[in-house]
Amino acid sequence: MGIIGEKKPKSSSSSSSPSSASHCADLRAAYHNCFNKWYSEKFVKGQWQKEECVAEWQKYRACLSEHLKDKHLSRFLEAEGLDSTTGADPAGVADGAETNPSN
Amino acid sequence: MVKAYEQEHVYKHPWEIVTSASWRKFADPENKRTLSHILDVDTLNHKLDAESGKLYTTRAISIHAPGPWFVRKIVGQDICHCVESTVVDGQSRSMQLTTRNISLQKFIEVEERTRYYPHPDNPRGWTVCKQETSIRIKPLSTLASMAEKVEQRCAERFLQNSVKGREVMERICKYLESESRGITF
Repeated sequence: MGIIGEKKPKSSSSSSSPSSASHCADLRAAYHNCFNKWYSEKFVKGQWQKEECVAEWQKYRACLSEHLKDKHLSRFLEAEGLDSTTGADPAGVADGAETNPSN
Repeated sequence: MVKAYEQEHVYKHPWEIVTSASWRKFADPENKRTLSHILDVDTLNHKLDAESGKLYTTRAISIHAPGPWFVRKIVGQDICHCVESTVVDGQSRSMQLTTRNISLQKFIEVEERTRYYPHPDNPRGWTVCKQETSIRIKPLSTLASMAEKVEQRCAERFLQNSVKGREVMERICKYLESESRGITF
């Protein structure tokens, strides 16, 4: 059956090792920490006029795009680009990749 | 073949706390042990509408595939990738998450919709969490016989995990509340 149609890296080990995820781990943690703080201290209190954590986001996003392949994330982007049935994602990941929020 | 499940849970914490906890649920290393099926969460995109107070976020979530061994065997992988789209409306105080699987789509489509909104009887103190899960097995002839089993396993897994998820949510809520009560940063 030609079911395994997904483009997998030609490594033999099927259980993807945690190393593939560790590339951007620090940048991700920095962004998520910043985001969580902003969300619970500002956003929920109605202070949503100013976007924060912009620098953290840009660094993290740059790392992600660099390691898209080993993190299998390209598939997410494809799926998001093709499918807009939820209506919950007007930003559109595929074309939003470079649109970083302005300061 | 579609199965749909609905669950409702009331958190006795305000909406602000509960939705903050929801964001932290997967990322917090403290919870990695409880939610061990979650492997990785990445934010792919986010957008803030500063006028209306709406926040749109897309995250990639990698989990251990919910299927039994024979599904893993056919598919050749044991990691399942999902995309989670979230809309938070700060003005009306609602949070809506939609999670769909990206991998294994040829076999199964799982969609989970979760909504957090203030409880009508106590809008400042309690939060309702409404969750709808639909599981659709693709009618492939080779899979027809095992489909029922897979469906059952998926459903069981989802229910188990949502109970675990609630425990984690409670813990983070309590943590956030004690934090905001006492020593704020």
